[in-house]
Amino acid sequence: MLKFLPYILKTLWRHRARTLLTFSGAAVSLFVFCFVVSLQEGLDRLTSQSDSTLVVFQANKFCPATSHLQQDYDQVIRKLPGVSEVVPIQVFTNNCRASLDVVVFYGVPPQKLRAVRDFELTSGSWAEFENNQDAGIVGQAVARRRNLKPGHRFSIGEVTVTVAGIFTSENKAEENYIYTHLEFLQRTPGLNLVGTVTQHEVVLESTADPSRVAEQIDERFRGGPIQTDTRTKGTFQAASLADLVELIGLTHYLGYACLGLMAVLILTTNFMSVQDRIREHAVLQTMGFSGSLVFLLIMTESVLLSFAGGATGILAAVAVLANAGIAVSAEAVSLALTPSFPLAAIGVGLSIAIGVLAGMLPALAAARTEIVPALRAA
Amino acid sequence: MLIEIRNLTKQFRKGEETIKPLDDVTLDIDRGEFVSLMGPSGTGKSTLLNQIAGIDRPDSGTITVAGTEITSLSRSRLARWRAENVGYIFQTHNLIPVLTAYENVELPLLLLPFDRAERRRRVQIALEAVDLVDRASHYPRQLSGGQEQRVGIARAIVADPTVVVADEPTGDLDTATSNQILDLLQRLNRDLGTTLLMVTHDEQAAEIAGRKLRLNDGRILEAEHSLEPAGSQADRK
Repeated sequence: MLKFLPYILKTLWRHRARTLLTFSGAAVSLFVFCFVVSLQEGLDRLTSQSDSTLVVFQANKFCPATSHLQQDYDQVIRKLPGVSEVVPIQVFTNNCRASLDVVVFYGVPPQKLRAVRDFELTSGSWAEFENNQDAGIVGQAVARRRNLKPGHRFSIGEVTVTVAGIFTSENKAEENYIYTHLEFLQRTPGLNLVGTVTQHEVVLESTADPSRVAEQIDERFRGGPIQTDTRTKGTFQAASLADLVELIGLTHYLGYACLGLMAVLILTTNFMSVQDRIREHAVLQTMGFSGSLVFLLIMTESVLLSFAGGATGILAAVAVLANAGIAVSAEAVSLALTPSFPLAAIGVGLSIAIGVLAGMLPALAAARTEIVPALRAA
Repeated sequence: MLIEIRNLTKQFRKGEETIKPLDDVTLDIDRGEFVSLMGPSGTGKSTLLNQIAGIDRPDSGTITVAGTEITSLSRSRLARWRAENVGYIFQTHNLIPVLTAYENVELPLLLLPFDRAERRRRVQIALEAVDLVDRASHYPRQLSGGQEQRVGIARAIVADPTVVVADEPTGDLDTATSNQILDLLQRLNRDLGTTLLMVTHDEQAAEIAGRKLRLNDGRILEAEHSLEPAGSQADRK
């Protein structure tokens, strides 16, 4: 088939406007599709997080701004069987509603942060963070969006922190948060939250039953001044993003629609190309090209066009997802849109599959052409 | 005998009417012959040519070329047979517009088991035969009508086929260019021993052929003899 590649490429180039338009259509379709899949992947990552971490929130509260638990609940929870570590967390966000540019501060006891998070600093230092009460370490995605570097002062509302470091994490959603000292956030002017926290994060022992421990926690504080609602971290995050989950489910159809559009576009181009070349294919068959070879030539054109356009769209999407640090947040939970190898592989596979599907009918039509009537065609 | 045609019949339905361009045609063509086929429009000249070239099928009868009965070959085997045995010269050149003259001539060779060096050697020889070596890198749109037809001829002979068929090869050309093309075909037949079958309207063009046939009412008449059915002459032999 390689021998015929110059003919195939020159044929595609013959109608370059049509080829470029189809190529662009395929690229845009796969670009959008990659974003949709990335959104779904981000959601799956959040909601399937390990069951070995529980989040204790104030019962019947949904926004972090309204959840106020006693900080000393951590002492009680720590004593329950199966609990390995409890981290009190104060959350502060500039926007509780769904948005693309939410800044979320997580105030934690600085000495506990490294024990419960897998952060790696790309710049700055842990010592700088731990020794300065107004210091914060900033997730890479926020730093990129806000152009933050170690030493910068950064304010949202009444909260002003000094950037002590930029971190990356295996969990890309974390890169959309800023971590500060717990007490610093509690003492933010106007908040007056000393002694209370938004939530407790409970790390379980590997043998513990998460639902049993969650029940025990909620049971322990039932009837107390502030009741709790304890869930696994994945379930908690899914509940926080509940409104978005439905929307993301709908975007699936948008992704499929893009693929369908791409298939129709390439199918149309292939049909136009075959109809333009009825006579040419008859000439090729007169020379001895078999119907199956003509079929393969058109299929190769179709797959090349689909693959090249699709791959370009995938590359563009991967570049944007990797560098723009896009995240959708709601209720102080961020869903990070990141590129992944499976995402690129699915995109490439779909591009090829669409090329094959869209090439099939035009290629069959060309391969079955009766030579003599086709030679007489104008 | 290179080509043996026996009781070949082809008919079409056109509305209520049945047209029979080939009616029980029997004909033999020897290796190295240059045969011209004449007759009024619509008498089946091209139909016969297409049957011999293996791009159309008869309703009945057989065609045997160099021992292969092509009328019984499957569609894919017939394509393979065409690649190895037939060179087709079209009236309207039918060059592939996106390919250079060189690439157009090379195209039939891509179907045969030749390596790149052998393909290059054969294309060179074919382009020399039609005196177009200096136009090898030109695209069809950069060539004159006569040059395009010469590229078409080079493409038809490059694989050294068993038979070359030409369907009104001078039909689209002016007189001077037509004469050049006819000279070229004559040289190919004379110098290379190529078996040529040419359909033409032009009496003068037909004159260059060693044997002239005329089609009338779906039957072949030997023009240079007493316009008797060609099959009856073959039978007498």
